[in-house]
Amino acid sequence: MHRRTFLKLAGIGSLSVAVGCTSDPDKKLYSLVHAPDDMVTGKATWYASTCRECPAGCGVVAKNREGRVIKLEGNPLHPINQGKLCMRGQAALQGFYNPDRLQKPLRKNEDGEWRAVPYREAIAVFREKLTDAAGGRARMMTEVVGTTTEQIMGELMAYVDSPPPLMFEPYAYEALKTANRITFGIDGLCSYHMEEADFLLCFGADFLETWLSPVEYARKFKQMHTVREGRKNLFVHVSPWQSVTAANADQWLPAAPGGETAVLLGCIREALGARNGGELPGGIGPALHDLSEAYTPERVAELSGLSIDAYRKMVRLLLNAKRPLVLGQGVGSAGDDALATNVAANLLNMILDPELKRFDFVHRHRVEAAARRSEVYDFFNGLKDSDASLLLLNNVNPLYALPPASAAAGVMAEKDLFVISFSSFMDETSAQADLIIPVLMPLERWGEYGGKTGLVSTLQPTTGRLFDAPELAQLLKVMTLPPENLPEKLPRIQSMVQNRLTEAGQIQGKQEWLRTVQHGGIFAADAKPAETAEEEKGSSISPSKDAETSLRNVFRNAGNRTAKNAGPVFIAAPSLRFFDGRGANRPWLCEYPDPLTKVAWQTPVLMHPDTLAENGIRQGDIVRVASEWGAVRAPAYAFYGMAPDVAVISAGQGHDGFGQYAGGKGANPFIILPYEPEPVSGAPSFLLSPVRVEKTRKQLPLAHTDGNKTQHGRKIALTVGLEELRQHDAHGHHEKHGFGMHEFPFTLPLPEGYDPHRDLYPPREYDYRWGMVVDLDRCVGCGACSVACYAENNLGIVGEERILEGREMSWLRIERYHKEDQMEKVTFFPMLCQHCDNAPCESVCPVYAPHHSPEGLNNQIYNRCIGTRYCSQNCPYKVRRFNWFTWQWPSPLNLQLNPDVTVRSKGVMEKCSFCVQRIKTAHDSAKNEKRRIYDGEIQPACVQTCPTDALTFGNLADKNSRVRRMTDDPRAYQVMGYLNTKTAVIYLKKVVQEV
Amino acid sequence: MAKLTHAQIDNTVLATLSPPDRTYWLTVAGLFIGAFIGLCCWIYQIFVGIGVGGQNNPVAWGTYLINFVFWVGIAHSGTLISAILYLFRAGWRNPIARAAETMTVFAVMTAGLFPLIHLGRVWMVYFMIPYPNQRNLWPNFTSPLMFDVIAISTYLTVSALFWYTGMIPDLATIRDRSSGFRKKVYGVLSLGWTGQFEQWRHYIRGYLFFAALATPLVISVHSVVSWDFGLGIVPGWHSTIFAPYFVAGAIHSGLAMVLTLMIPLRKLFHYEELITMRVLESVAKTIILTGMIVGYSYITEVFIAWYSFNPVEQELFHWRMFGDYGLEFWIMFTCNVIVPLFLFFRKIRTSLPALMVISILVNVGMWFERFVIIVGSVAHDFIPHAWGLYAPSMIEYGIMFGTFCMFFFLFLLFVKHMPSVSMTEMKEALNSGDGDVHE
Repeated sequence: MHRRTFLKLAGIGSLSVAVGCTSDPDKKLYSLVHAPDDMVTGKATWYASTCRECPAGCGVVAKNREGRVIKLEGNPLHPINQGKLCMRGQAALQGFYNPDRLQKPLRKNEDGEWRAVPYREAIAVFREKLTDAAGGRARMMTEVVGTTTEQIMGELMAYVDSPPPLMFEPYAYEALKTANRITFGIDGLCSYHMEEADFLLCFGADFLETWLSPVEYARKFKQMHTVREGRKNLFVHVSPWQSVTAANADQWLPAAPGGETAVLLGCIREALGARNGGELPGGIGPALHDLSEAYTPERVAELSGLSIDAYRKMVRLLLNAKRPLVLGQGVGSAGDDALATNVAANLLNMILDPELKRFDFVHRHRVEAAARRSEVYDFFNGLKDSDASLLLLNNVNPLYALPPASAAAGVMAEKDLFVISFSSFMDETSAQADLIIPVLMPLERWGEYGGKTGLVSTLQPTTGRLFDAPELAQLLKVMTLPPENLPEKLPRIQSMVQNRLTEAGQIQGKQEWLRTVQHGGIFAADAKPAETAEEEKGSSISPSKDAETSLRNVFRNAGNRTAKNAGPVFIAAPSLRFFDGRGANRPWLCEYPDPLTKVAWQTPVLMHPDTLAENGIRQGDIVRVASEWGAVRAPAYAFYGMAPDVAVISAGQGHDGFGQYAGGKGANPFIILPYEPEPVSGAPSFLLSPVRVEKTRKQLPLAHTDGNKTQHGRKIALTVGLEELRQHDAHGHHEKHGFGMHEFPFTLPLPEGYDPHRDLYPPREYDYRWGMVVDLDRCVGCGACSVACYAENNLGIVGEERILEGREMSWLRIERYHKEDQMEKVTFFPMLCQHCDNAPCESVCPVYAPHHSPEGLNNQIYNRCIGTRYCSQNCPYKVRRFNWFTWQWPSPLNLQLNPDVTVRSKGVMEKCSFCVQRIKTAHDSAKNEKRRIYDGEIQPACVQTCPTDALTFGNLADKNSRVRRMTDDPRAYQVMGYLNTKTAVIYLKKVVQEV
Repeated sequence: MAKLTHAQIDNTVLATLSPPDRTYWLTVAGLFIGAFIGLCCWIYQIFVGIGVGGQNNPVAWGTYLINFVFWVGIAHSGTLISAILYLFRAGWRNPIARAAETMTVFAVMTAGLFPLIHLGRVWMVYFMIPYPNQRNLWPNFTSPLMFDVIAISTYLTVSALFWYTGMIPDLATIRDRSSGFRKKVYGVLSLGWTGQFEQWRHYIRGYLFFAALATPLVISVHSVVSWDFGLGIVPGWHSTIFAPYFVAGAIHSGLAMVLTLMIPLRKLFHYEELITMRVLESVAKTIILTGMIVGYSYITEVFIAWYSFNPVEQELFHWRMFGDYGLEFWIMFTCNVIVPLFLFFRKIRTSLPALMVISILVNVGMWFERFVIIVGSVAHDFIPHAWGLYAPSMIEYGIMFGTFCMFFFLFLLFVKHMPSVSMTEMKEALNSGDGDVHE
């Protein structure tokens, strides 16, 4: 080789090393030249808005960082949810940032293929079709919307001389509405002052999960159902299967499906007997007497399958209660007799308390605006027969939610009907449309939605827009204006809302409007009382004129259902996680395991273990549940909270499309439901009998996150009897001595907890010592805390396969324990890092990655972690989570990530940090203001969102803090305290009472 | 049997160093490929994440640590044989000491790989080294894993030096008998050994002290490894019996591995005269002893769980025996405790096939012992809700296969290039007229 060649080659080589091998892509930091006024980098801004994930209409405040919404929390001012939010509300973010969200309008061509078109073109098509449909040929179906939007929709339909829009909700509470009409003369959904009751008797209404307004009722329920001065009110639940609500009852009584009415009529009989029934208005007393006469305890027991003793006890408690409240059926077990049950429940309330003090007829639930199922069927049937040429759909999915026998699919397939879907997802219904125009989602638009009558709750954009999409209400409004001279400034929804409120006299001037938006609505403190409230309540509560006939009609078949039933009964229950299916494409909701089965990502069919055994079915076998309308396949799950011969499938999954997290997962129970609505109320049946339940040859391993259903006698989730608690000496309650598993001392993670006989290392001194108190008596197992944690702390979504492998990442899990000798008794038990003072994880890490902070936190230093996983092995609570892979957030889900929390990569351990980022923020503001951190100033995400206030966070070192005072409760204990870990998470025993 | 002469010993041992045939190289190449497959699996794991293995929550430790403990256990008996039995003047150890020591060194090397393979972020492993740094961050010396780092590295260093020291006179013999390039290599390796009296005097003294120094390590290394578990609070781990239990188990597996290696070696290299049946029998008898110690430990564990009245422990041990991993437990118990009892029969312990089968079974049993302890404890610990099972993945099997290949690859290379029986010590035994070696 020549010298020159060598130099050349060497030069090329070194150059290519220097230039060609940079692995990092360019990273640029852009600074904002003109930042918006309300945006400071690194500082969150909060916008009040309204949650639109279900018709309840909770208020939210959205945390916005650098223009992106990253977290939703309940709006503390909002009267419905008072600062709390359920898991579906938390997951609204993942609807907004969903990777499957449509970004462009799509138009279907002749061959049925989708083609993206610009908005301009899509809107032009919309206008053209609308013009064509003038003269009464347009139809519209929408989800339940706020009054302003409803008005605009009405105007649009009037503009083309068409009928007003139909509000479709799969769960429209027809039976309850009709029952209210018959008994109270109000065709609507009153709300309940559940918190004032001292005895709650419920026949299936799942008010902790989906029924009417779950966050509100969860709160009210726990206000009622908590220990106060040694007393706790009772909650008895009678239903064919145990929902989360039923699992929270003091006593759950399994009733044969359809037997609830018999129980209620029996109760009416006893109540009438006890109170003489003469006070009943509308002269229905005698009729009722006749109707209920036959329901002797023996007959009730026979019809419902309840034990006669339990029934008698229940009746005695009911009649002795001072302020009883009876709730009828929810959607969960609503069959043909749902109306009868609800009517009977209303009547029973009337007999027990003629003044109906726990009913609120003023603040009625907005979902009452939803059309009855019979009207929905008529809508589609009408479409088939009419000459309608345009169908507008707003965020509804009837092709998923309606039984296949409905006309919906056929109608939408018709050539001469042009279907426009204003949806952001390619769900079953959108897939059958001709044009999809994605519109702004609730988190990025203006609007108004009051979850209850008389309540003004506003929506405002909480985030920068992801895609260029129109606001639906505005688009519809513009359509009613002549296209040739559109105003310079298009009509704005916020102005319309403002005008409407001003006209109604609820606000005056811009200042009040601004305050309304800032507060998220007009609430009690600044609301002007609705004028007609008292008057309305007083005058209108009376049974409808034909009540007596109605009653006879309604109860004609009462109780006979069970007799005629031969064969398994199938129930399609609403899902705590997916509601009616609209949440199925939100990864958090899929990933969070069902509270009762602990199965994630899948839809099992729940049956009693004995029923399974009788049919030779094992858990995990795929079972085919068939009716004359269809068949559904799902893996069997042995669940103890079931009446015999009942099969339950939760709704929500089993989508054909809808997106990567929903498609092909689970099963849809709606497809085997009958078509015929109940004739009086127009309610669909979610209960079906008989069905055929057959075992197939296939199996599906269940992706459940629980290792075992019981505690095996260990001291983990403890309960205490009410009597025992009463007798407990309030002083000296904590065991001071003992070393064994069954009598260990209660040891706070403080210098006071130091005992030279038990401790090797000297005590730690604390200024702040963060700790949490978990009141098991208040925990209802709804899982909102866990999903809030996913949202706040950037937890990875691992998917079905990884959950099967045991790799879920939840920092906070709700353990569900059945009582060993009474498997239908369930305790929910939130488990998170206990932030031990003697942490077993800290001592075994070779590199100090788990680090004990001066404030007692057990910090995990991700950068230091090398992944030996010894900490996890040695953690007795098994709360540590390892990053087995680098988890992915498909764009734009990544935009939701909390910038204050590290996104962990593969190979490091993680776990609950007590939301250390929030603690740091509180420290910063305290330091700026030269003060100490207030008690209650810091709320980790789980504590913040808990609808029942089961979690309390604070400084244990401060003797006056709430957490510290709560540790004096005789119910306080530490999980496996005998290990001397000195946990900073203190549990309060669940108080149980025998009925 | 005729008495061996010095020349016979030299000739027999040196004959093994003759240029190997094709089969040998094919085997070596095959093993290399096997090791390479393991390496590829590891590289894949590093790039994708530990999740390619089967570990999960709660069983965060899987085959990597099972194999770690397994190989450390194997590594045990090398030094036991060469150091402790040397001090006890047990002459029957001389013919197998070299092979056992070699096994030790390679087993420790193999074992040492596993903690690295196990790490979630192996590229950060230097955090475990106490190097000075600006942030004053030190490793945590209270962590049993730090004990491990120190114990294993010490053991590797000492056993390698001991092994090498013992080889020096033999290397000089090879140097003297070879020519050309080989002579140069062995010349360097033998460190100028001439066999002078002064050299021998220092050497013998040095070797004795070395043996004395290495002896505590035999006990300490596996005790320290056992503390990885014993110092944890996991039920099934948290027990004071662990150190002696692990040491006995380690010797048990190590002796079995010695048999597994020596029996084919004896056959292939015609060592029948050096490694007599008497030697193998002695090893077999020791296996009976260690097997009974191990069996005693198993029973003690169960007894303590019952006697403690601790429901967690009781439940765990009941589950171990009759639960999801019951099969593994009974494999362990049978192979480690029942099978070695057959060695009580002279007929069995003098039959080479039987010895071979038993030694392999003991190794299998010892592997399952580590499985039962490591996986079977956390899978079923304090919180029933968190219970979970574990099964190794293909990647883990690949890595396991690769490391076994690596071990045999190294061992095979060694026996053809280095003296696999210590000529020096064989001759010493002749001179001292130790009846234990030859009858």
